[in-house]
Amino acid sequence: MKRRPPTGRRAVNLVVSIWAVGSALMGIAILFWIIFVVVTRGLGAMNLAFFTHLPTPPGILGGGLVNAMIGTLVLTVAATLMAVPLGLLAGVYLAEFSEDSKIADFSRFSANVLMGMPSIIVGVFAYTLVVVPLGKFSGYAGALALAILMLPLVTRTTEDMLRLVPNTLRESALALGAPRWRVTLAIVFRAAKSGLITGVLLAVARVSGETAPLLFTTLNSPFWFHSLGEPIPNLTVTIFDYAMSPYPDWQQKAWGASLLITAGVLVVTLLARFTLREKKL
Amino acid sequence: MMEMAIKLTELEPEMESSCESAQVLAEHGLESKITTRHLNFFYGENQVLFDNNLDIAKNQVTAIIGPSGCGKSTHIRVYNRVYELYRDQRAEGEVLLDGENILDPAYDIMELRRKVGMIFQKPTPFPMSVFDNVAYGLKMHYVMSKSEMADRVEEALQRAALWDEIKDHLHRPGTSLSGGQQQRLCIARAIVVAPEVLLMDEPCSAIDPIGTAKIEELIFDLKDHYSIAIVTHNMQQAARVSDFTAFFYQGRIVEFGPTSQIFTKPAQKKTEEYITGRFG
Repeated sequence: MKRRPPTGRRAVNLVVSIWAVGSALMGIAILFWIIFVVVTRGLGAMNLAFFTHLPTPPGILGGGLVNAMIGTLVLTVAATLMAVPLGLLAGVYLAEFSEDSKIADFSRFSANVLMGMPSIIVGVFAYTLVVVPLGKFSGYAGALALAILMLPLVTRTTEDMLRLVPNTLRESALALGAPRWRVTLAIVFRAAKSGLITGVLLAVARVSGETAPLLFTTLNSPFWFHSLGEPIPNLTVTIFDYAMSPYPDWQQKAWGASLLITAGVLVVTLLARFTLREKKL
Repeated sequence: MMEMAIKLTELEPEMESSCESAQVLAEHGLESKITTRHLNFFYGENQVLFDNNLDIAKNQVTAIIGPSGCGKSTHIRVYNRVYELYRDQRAEGEVLLDGENILDPAYDIMELRRKVGMIFQKPTPFPMSVFDNVAYGLKMHYVMSKSEMADRVEEALQRAALWDEIKDHLHRPGTSLSGGQQQRLCIARAIVVAPEVLLMDEPCSAIDPIGTAKIEELIFDLKDHYSIAIVTHNMQQAARVSDFTAFFYQGRIVEFGPTSQIFTKPAQKKTEEYITGRFG
């Protein structure tokens, strides 16, 4: 047999390797570029007043965004409280009780579609559902829009995490005479705990940076947070407003708010990874 | 007259098969704890057990042997109806526990599973402490004070020959024990609720030889209190631990008899071929 010289294969190997490594580096480079720009520009806005004072009107220097920080926190918590119980239960149904019925297939498909839904459309949906009937922008509408975005994420991660729990564990609990709901709550949930927490944290990280759904629902406010029944100050719409403004002081604050949100999402994501890793040990 | 004759021939094979284990038990003066008659089992459309008739003797160890896929595990999984977790699995026939048909949907399934404990192939400690693993079933079925619960947990761990090794580590997670210890923890967890029957589905297949020896010793001690059915691939193990042996082949029970007899002079050719290692 005549040997085929390996030079051609070696060349292809080299090209593909360089291409793959280059693509990976490109992705990482863009991420770090964004972080670098946000940090360098945002650091200038960081001072005590930024974290403690209300915003000032244009032209008056100083002030801060503490109201928007609180508002974003309130909105995210409210959305989490709405979406997590529903999403967990839906995930439990899909993984534990649906036995892959038609309803389950349809729910799973709907969740997947909802996950790919542009967030601005969810914002418009919450607008027609809450803002129009009530006649005003409100925190409820914003929290609802964020909750709708979280719901499919929580549902699908819950289902996936529960499916990772081996059936032998369910059988052992059933074999002791435990009813099905107890097996799910006391055994399966406990076995999947860190995965479930990770899912919730990632969903929180995902929606805490959303702007579009809030534009139509919560709007923004330069005042303290009072109640969910009125427009709520929040960081993301503040970034949108301030970045579009002609005032350098406001633009600087928009960078500061961007840095804050990026750092927040990073912390939550790292927390999620940390929780998941702990399980593997 | 004609009619009678037809009826008799129809009945004959049925009588014969339903009586082999019952006859053997009667000869030994033993009571039947679980009496299976005409059990058929299906995975969807696919039938995997055919007309199984078997008696599990009270306070004896019954080994169920046979090649992979012959329905051994499927058979004992009917005894506590654990197969009901899967919608497409279905059993037909009669399985009597102390004379009551457990396949009757009206039979209280929680009580059935308290009476019939199960040990699985792989140890399955719950994601909680050693103590809580054992206390789990206890809390579910009984009301008792904390001190009584601690006593019961200790008693079960002692009976499972695990107490001396872990009495100082009761609050460690159950998953931190070795494989053999985990399996004995599962045995303690199963016996703490005071069952009457223990089903063991290849309990040593994932355990090292020392752990296996300990569990086999334990099975011998446990039979004073429980009626035991053990599925095993390991024929030496069946010979060591069991009093009676049933040989399964392709979903049917080919032969049943005292273990000594099955392993020395089996009546069926298929049994002999299997135990001498010609197939399986």
